[in-house]
Amino acid sequence: MTQEFAGGAEGAEQRTDIDWVAVERSPEFRELVKRKKAFVIPATLFFLAWYFGFIILAGYAPDFMGREFITDGLTVGYALALTQFVMTWVLGWMYLRKADREFDPLAERAREAALGTAGPGGPEGRFRRGEIVDEPVPGSSTSTEVPR
Amino acid sequence: MTTYFAAVNETALAVFAIVVGVTMVITYFASKRVSTATDFWAAGRGLTGPQNGFAIAGDYMSAASFLGIAGLIFLFGFDGFLYSVGFLVAFLTVLFLLAERMRNSGKYTIADTLAFRLKQKPARAAAALGTLSVVAFYLIAQMVGAGVLIEGLVGIDFWLAVVLTGAFMIIYIVAGGMLATSWVQIIKAFLLMGAAVVMTVWVLAEIGWNPLDLFRDARAQSADGEAYLKPGLFLSTPLDTVSLGLGLVLGTAGLPHILMRFFTVPNAKAARGSVMWAMVLIGAFYVMTTALGFGARAILGKGGEEAAGPTGNFALPSLADELGGELFLAIIAGVAFATILAVVAGLVISASGAVAHDVWSNIVRSGRDSEREEVWVAKIAAVSIGAIAIAIAVIGGEGLNISFMVGLAFAVAASANFPALLLALTWRRFNTTGAVVGVLFGVISSVALVVISPTVWPGPDSEGGALSWYSLANPGIISIPLGFIGCFLGTMLTTEPAAAAKFDELYVRSETGLGAEVATGLTLTGGGGRRRTAAAATTTIPRL
Repeated sequence: MTQEFAGGAEGAEQRTDIDWVAVERSPEFRELVKRKKAFVIPATLFFLAWYFGFIILAGYAPDFMGREFITDGLTVGYALALTQFVMTWVLGWMYLRKADREFDPLAERAREAALGTAGPGGPEGRFRRGEIVDEPVPGSSTSTEVPR
Repeated sequence: MTTYFAAVNETALAVFAIVVGVTMVITYFASKRVSTATDFWAAGRGLTGPQNGFAIAGDYMSAASFLGIAGLIFLFGFDGFLYSVGFLVAFLTVLFLLAERMRNSGKYTIADTLAFRLKQKPARAAAALGTLSVVAFYLIAQMVGAGVLIEGLVGIDFWLAVVLTGAFMIIYIVAGGMLATSWVQIIKAFLLMGAAVVMTVWVLAEIGWNPLDLFRDARAQSADGEAYLKPGLFLSTPLDTVSLGLGLVLGTAGLPHILMRFFTVPNAKAARGSVMWAMVLIGAFYVMTTALGFGARAILGKGGEEAAGPTGNFALPSLADELGGELFLAIIAGVAFATILAVVAGLVISASGAVAHDVWSNIVRSGRDSEREEVWVAKIAAVSIGAIAIAIAVIGGEGLNISFMVGLAFAVAASANFPALLLALTWRRFNTTGAVVGVLFGVISSVALVVISPTVWPGPDSEGGALSWYSLANPGIISIPLGFIGCFLGTMLTTEPAAAAKFDELYVRSETGLGAEVATGLTLTGGGGRRRTAAAATTTIPRL
């Protein structure tokens, strides 16, 4: 198991040496949060709408939900219920894919910005906002592999 | 009382003994490794994503899922399946909004996330109240369910069944902490999935391999005919259906024993992976409830209603008996027993965290106690909570309505815990007063609304409620907005610059994992894992 999310051997209580306000304002962190929100907010609204559409139909339109279509025995309600299962798995898989390919490298960059360059031999120390502001934020993950 | 067997069923007892034996061996191995508080509550944060996914599935799917949903479908058709849908979709709320953030910001309990930026004592008191309320309702429901089921399936007395369930649960926790609890849950998830697959295939074989015949045969076997495949037989008030849906889909994200599981993995990547594993397992299981519930109706027919009991809980055991006779029934009963043990252990360990870590260590002792003391208090708390639950279940007994208790637990979780956690993680202005008022609003409103609901007062068989203007059985649609309003009002009426100042740290930490708790690498049987992982942690990211 890799330790890419472990920020250090001590817990957060000891990390008074990081300028959290500056990290929060850093372009790397802002980019991470922006990209995450761009997926999570629409995805959450979509699944809530699809789910409550189903629940509201079940509550207020039982006859529609009980209508059998395509073949005898298969109701609209049951077919819609199955779409909820498919939706859950597909949205979950999409989130995992996006998190692996997009959010994790961005989070790694935000951490690097806060800690100095990560990895053995790199300069340790404080948040170095000025030096990495101009670096482009990666769309691909190849350049931002976490050192193992 | 439905006693499925007139006398003690020895085959079932033998299966129960195997379940207990295997889990005790695990507990023995775990007990030799668990020493620190991180071991006790978070299994050293050493579980892999797939392991934790199985454990979440084992923690989440209670007897209410295994026997309850099959029973509801057997009795009421489509409405029972609405629960299956809600219980699964709820995990998207967990995945998108809380799983990784909890892993990155918390330590042992959900209170850690609130107390990170809010005033320690009031924030922890509020979170402990939310946790203990959820656990109280859920735990007593499970204990009563265990007693009723074991009495009905094995033939031993209700009180003895409750005491035995409680005693095993306490042994897992006190001896093996979260490590033993997690592995009990993992094994239970395997057993439950295996039982569901076998029964589904068996049912399909019985009806001729066409899944649509499940619906056709079930419809033909129901007194309700066409209406059996429509919504409305169980949930007759439309607003109640919506209210239930809201409670289910947001409640899971406020269940302390589920959120606590994210502290057992080493990082956020494993946390989200474990949710995906859980969603696959739990989703597959709930799809199979179609075959279990509609299949019970198709195969047992109207004649099965008496054996299934008024709640339908015995529909699935009856189906097992019909399909495979006494041995298969005993196996299914054993799986149901393992199911309950895994869930109650998860509940009690989360309650022990609220009592020992939040109330004792951080409120009473102001954080000055030793870790050794904290773990001791946790064990004493687990024994006490277990004993209280046993006492209430034995005294309150079989009269308690299990499904309403579980519904209440979800309502409190959705109305009290979920709003406070979500806002603490995402709203800069949020403060201590907001959290306290929000949790109080959520707990009080959901409990009060359930008490005045027609199913409780004057009673399940009455026409209409005690209050003519209120007829909802599920409080979510009122109590969840009230929880959020409480958080909002409390926040807006007071100012707390310290809470806003600490927000940046919590925000960065929860989104990036910077400064998050690290794993100590505890495994059930491994040797030097602890040292290896600690070394890896220090070489990956240089210390400051």
